[in-house]
Amino acid sequence: MWALDQAYAPRAERLLAETPATLLAGLAIGAAVAVALVDLAVLPASTLRVVGVTAGHGALLATALAWAHAGVASRIVAIALLALAASASLSGTLGAAAYLAPALWIFWLANRGRLEGLSLGGPVPARAVAAGAAAGAGLSFHLLLSATRTLSVQVRADHVGATLAAIAYDVGANVLAAECFFRGVLFTRAARRWPLPAAAGISTGAYLLRYLIDPLLPKSAELVAGAVFYLALLGVINCWLLAWSRTLVPGLVSATLFFAAYRTLGPR
Amino acid sequence: MTLIAVTLAAVTALIALEEGGAASLWRHAYLVPVLAAALRFGAVGGGLTAGAAILLSAPLVLPEIERSGLTSEAVEGIVTFAILGLVGVLGGALWARAGRHRRRYELLLTIQRTLADEGTLDVALARLRGTLAGRLAVDQIGLIVRDDDRLVIAGGERVTDDSLAARVLAAGTPMCVTDTGERGWPRRAFATPLLSGGRVVGVLTAERSGDFPAGERAALESIGAHLGLALENARLVSRQRRFAVELEARVAAVRRELEELDRVKSAFVAIASHELRTPLTALQGFSEILAVRRLPPDEVTRLGEVMRREARRLGRIVSDLLDLSRIERGLEPALCRIPVRVESSIEATIELFREASTSHRITTECEPALPVVDADPDALERVLTNLVSNAIKYSPSGSAVRVNARSTAGGVAIEVADAGRGIPAEALGRVFEPYYRVPDAAGAARGTGIGLAVVKALVEAHGGTVRVESAPSMGTRVTVVLPAASRS
Repeated sequence: MWALDQAYAPRAERLLAETPATLLAGLAIGAAVAVALVDLAVLPASTLRVVGVTAGHGALLATALAWAHAGVASRIVAIALLALAASASLSGTLGAAAYLAPALWIFWLANRGRLEGLSLGGPVPARAVAAGAAAGAGLSFHLLLSATRTLSVQVRADHVGATLAAIAYDVGANVLAAECFFRGVLFTRAARRWPLPAAAGISTGAYLLRYLIDPLLPKSAELVAGAVFYLALLGVINCWLLAWSRTLVPGLVSATLFFAAYRTLGPR
Repeated sequence: MTLIAVTLAAVTALIALEEGGAASLWRHAYLVPVLAAALRFGAVGGGLTAGAAILLSAPLVLPEIERSGLTSEAVEGIVTFAILGLVGVLGGALWARAGRHRRRYELLLTIQRTLADEGTLDVALARLRGTLAGRLAVDQIGLIVRDDDRLVIAGGERVTDDSLAARVLAAGTPMCVTDTGERGWPRRAFATPLLSGGRVVGVLTAERSGDFPAGERAALESIGAHLGLALENARLVSRQRRFAVELEARVAAVRRELEELDRVKSAFVAIASHELRTPLTALQGFSEILAVRRLPPDEVTRLGEVMRREARRLGRIVSDLLDLSRIERGLEPALCRIPVRVESSIEATIELFREASTSHRITTECEPALPVVDADPDALERVLTNLVSNAIKYSPSGSAVRVNARSTAGGVAIEVADAGRGIPAEALGRVFEPYYRVPDAAGAARGTGIGLAVVKALVEAHGGTVRVESAPSMGTRVTVVLPAASRS
């Protein structure tokens, strides 16, 4: 028993230890240079989309991989695949399928047992996946119902291509990076220091902050309030799913379902 | 949980079908699943179910508020949902608290019952750990209790000095560790002291993958305090029981010793009577012959010599008995010490034996220029007489008895060696005990069993030492070391 026969030394490691600062600085500098070049009309405006995806989601994913001790090469490959996918997605719906590449890379790493620190690669109980699917479906259903009844939006089936491209983006970048970072490593690290409710609060707070500063989030008060409500709920639910099932997969499933439902909404 | 979810969905469906929105009377029916969840899962369950009810009804209520603003019906509906939330959380919290108290009292009762059974502290602790493991929702549990200068441990093999348990045992305050440092999901450990009268008597440790909320930690601390008292009582009872067993064993041993002593003393009285009677009979018989008959001078001389020898023997026995009496009273033999040359004493003693015994060859060998010893000449003579007498008694006729003296560092060593039957190894340690006789020696020669005890007492009274070396059939060698006189 650990409490009897193992030495106990109070933890000295900081919460943000092992952050790949050099890589993050490189991404930030690259993004700043790209923005400057776009301003100078050297690069087309669409480059900003590629830069945003690569720098934003790449930073989250690379930090998650670094905290999970996944190796430098895996981080660089993940960022490169995100950049490639974002570039490919500019060419249209089929190009967005390239977003599957980062997801497959993470799956490959997990399958090799290199992402235990991210709670990926271990056994995935079917009931945990079912719980994640049920949570995602419930939230999605509620979002669709309440949004269509209270906000000026509706479920649209006339932009299937754009919707599928957005879902691909969620699968390979948005959901993947957010779940790996905010749940996979941040929540787990916080849980090593504080009680689970506090850790869930920190993880969810950071998750909300990430979306609130996202320039792509609509700025109307109703939509921001709705986003805060649903994302907070999704964050807490995914923290609970991870703490209960010890795997990130149910959270990935619930978030993917929720964002897929969100992508089907469009203005009336 | 499924029933609660179905009820929530059914109530929402009824509100939707009625199209009453916030004012629908069906909204009150949410109270049923909320209360059910509060009673089943506590504050979190009640709160979550109330939240789910609010979430489910939001798409029905919010559009109405958007359309008509905050009407009195809408406010009424909002108040209803607020009350629902309060009922869920407070009801659940109170119910959970009551449940915790009930479980704690049940647990304390079980602890008392567990410790009431007879058994050692180790057994009681192991049994108690089993009881706690079944009642507390933790992955692992450990109990450590101080029992005098040892630690009794249940749930592990040892307690390392810098472990959590050792720290709590030393500090006497509870400690919670949020991460034990193991790989995978963080694992928590909590340790609380077991207290008895303000004294730390042990530690209760628990480990699990989930949290130890404040309420649960408080409950564990309370259990620790109760356990401390109960275990202290159990420890004292166990110690008392152990003492009783030990005392019983000691009393039995002492009784056996006394019985043995009694038997030995009885045997000694018989032997001593016989030993005293023999020379007395000789003295009596020969003195009567001398008194009533007229004998030739040579015969008178011979009888006188026999009487003198028997009188000396009688005197030696009486001296030994007197010395033994002093030893048994814790007194040292009375000595009158003067500088004595060991060679002279040896020669004088041996001469007596040579005159009396022709059955053994007695040889002496003394190193030249031996130091003078500070000794009582009579005592030294009795020491030598006892040792040589034993050597003659327990060695076959015709064998040699050697008496040697040599100088040692700070003294003189006198060795008396025979080629007799020897002493068994198991009896060697007891030969200096009063009344003790080597089991098969009684049939071999006469003796009181006090000679060597007197030798030891006399030698030690001189500040010397005596040791015996022997092997069966190889003979015995007794070495007496006496310190040299300071002026030599």
